[in-house]
Amino acid sequence: MAGTGLSGAASLAGVGTTPFSRDSGISTTALACRAVLTALDDAGLGIGDVDGIATHRVGDSSPPWVVGPALGITDPAWHLDQFGGGGVSHAVIGQAALAVAAGIADVVVCYRAINARSEFRMGGQGRAPAGAFDLQYQAPYGLLAPVQHYAVPARAHMQAYGTTHEHLGAIAVRQRANAAANPRALKRDPITLDDYLASPWVSEPFRLLDCCLETDGACALVVTSAERARDLRRPPVDIAAAAWAGGHSTYSPPAPGGLGDDLTTSSAARLAPRLYAMAGLGPDDVDLAELYDCFTWTVVVQLEDYGFCRKGEGGPFAASEALGIGGELPVNTHGGFLSEGYVHGINHVAEAVGQLRGDAGPRQVDGAEVALSTGQPGYVLAGTSALLLTAGR
Amino acid sequence: MNRTQSLRQDVRDQDGRRRDGRGAAAPRPRPGADRDSAYWWEAVGEGRFLVQYCADCRTPRFPAREVCAVCLSLEWEWREGTGTGTVDGWTVTRRTFHPAFEAPYTVLRVALDDGPALYCWGRLVGADPGDLRRGQPVEAVFTDTGPAPGAGAPTGGGAFTKVVDWRPRE
Repeated sequence: MAGTGLSGAASLAGVGTTPFSRDSGISTTALACRAVLTALDDAGLGIGDVDGIATHRVGDSSPPWVVGPALGITDPAWHLDQFGGGGVSHAVIGQAALAVAAGIADVVVCYRAINARSEFRMGGQGRAPAGAFDLQYQAPYGLLAPVQHYAVPARAHMQAYGTTHEHLGAIAVRQRANAAANPRALKRDPITLDDYLASPWVSEPFRLLDCCLETDGACALVVTSAERARDLRRPPVDIAAAAWAGGHSTYSPPAPGGLGDDLTTSSAARLAPRLYAMAGLGPDDVDLAELYDCFTWTVVVQLEDYGFCRKGEGGPFAASEALGIGGELPVNTHGGFLSEGYVHGINHVAEAVGQLRGDAGPRQVDGAEVALSTGQPGYVLAGTSALLLTAGR
Repeated sequence: MNRTQSLRQDVRDQDGRRRDGRGAAAPRPRPGADRDSAYWWEAVGEGRFLVQYCADCRTPRFPAREVCAVCLSLEWEWREGTGTGTVDGWTVTRRTFHPAFEAPYTVLRVALDDGPALYCWGRLVGADPGDLRRGQPVEAVFTDTGPAPGAGAPTGGGAFTKVVDWRPRE
């Protein structure tokens, strides 16, 4: 099946990660530089080859106009300092691919660098809440932290479809088991469903073990043309599709029947058809999925909205053996944000690249040819993005 | 004063301390109204729940915007809202994220009765969250926010002196 649009124009040629920790002890600028240099070395490229640099951030990290000059990249032909969180994590790479496809840049480094435990915690932790735009209608009620924002649609989904705590727990347990085979993961000790059910409430229906790990760390990816990627050091991973979708209004959608009517369906339901159409692929072609897991429940809703099961069946499907390594659809093979660490989206792409190269060691998915990697599905700082990646030949 | 004042969930004195003496709670954050929303918040400060309507196609909208997303009209009007709705979703927060909001507390997403797709947020007051159900009828109550966080903090031109909370409706 032939792709359309951006399909096949650009590839991921290099991956770099720093160690993940709760206290990196270094600046986000330093984290970004280390990840970028590691990714370039992986690709067999040098700073002199780089003519594009991109990131996303929410006021918590070092921008391209600091990281670039810090590495001697003083005049990039293309750059992007994207505002936003996990919803735009995959958009950054998609936009880099657009720049490459348009001939504006040849080699783009995309990074995300955060000290999300030691410096800037997403939940605020006493920091004055941002009042911008629609958050002014939530912050005065103590609705301040991401765990609270996602708890509301999760609760609605449980009420509408009978999704259970045990379904959510199965996700946490499996991803921890996956992380045991991942030396980069912050949490590698196995947990049981009883451990999950005994973990303390944070914001119902979420317990501590429903939440991703506040993490210090950085990842970087090198985006270049599919043609050039084939001359570089490592096997290329091709961007078969990149897609974007608008987010979820939690207030009044423009018309009755809009997505804002129903919290139990995410923006991924609108993105997925575009993504699959661009790649000329469908859900049945996907060999593994790295699904944005800021909280367990976002895996459930994305299993439904990316077409892997019917609406309302995401809970039982998530709890089934199908999602394990060796199952029909391995999900979050590195342990995800719940157990590997949370680099705000980009470490999902790093893992997908490793799997498609056959580099994943004991957690390698046999015959991995097509991987889905997704951003936050559009509930907060609304908007979503995702990539379909294929092993290059 | 408003008939619902007695149902306020966290009554504070002028120093922002809880009257029940359970320690010094910090002032509530006041994120600041914007130039679209200031009028709505000022009405809330007077104990009124307003809903904005397009003056041309009559579609209600929330929150306040200058443009109607249905017909793109720039003309609008404010009407007194019903102040009632039904529970759409909620979370019971069990961990304190900000010193002004001592856990546990419950925040609701409420589908307003004023239109087919209008949602507002607020805290649950006067009820046990364990009894909540989707579709449950609720009504607005107005809660004083206490003193401003401090000199120089954004207050949205006097807004945020009250906020909207919700209690079950018989």
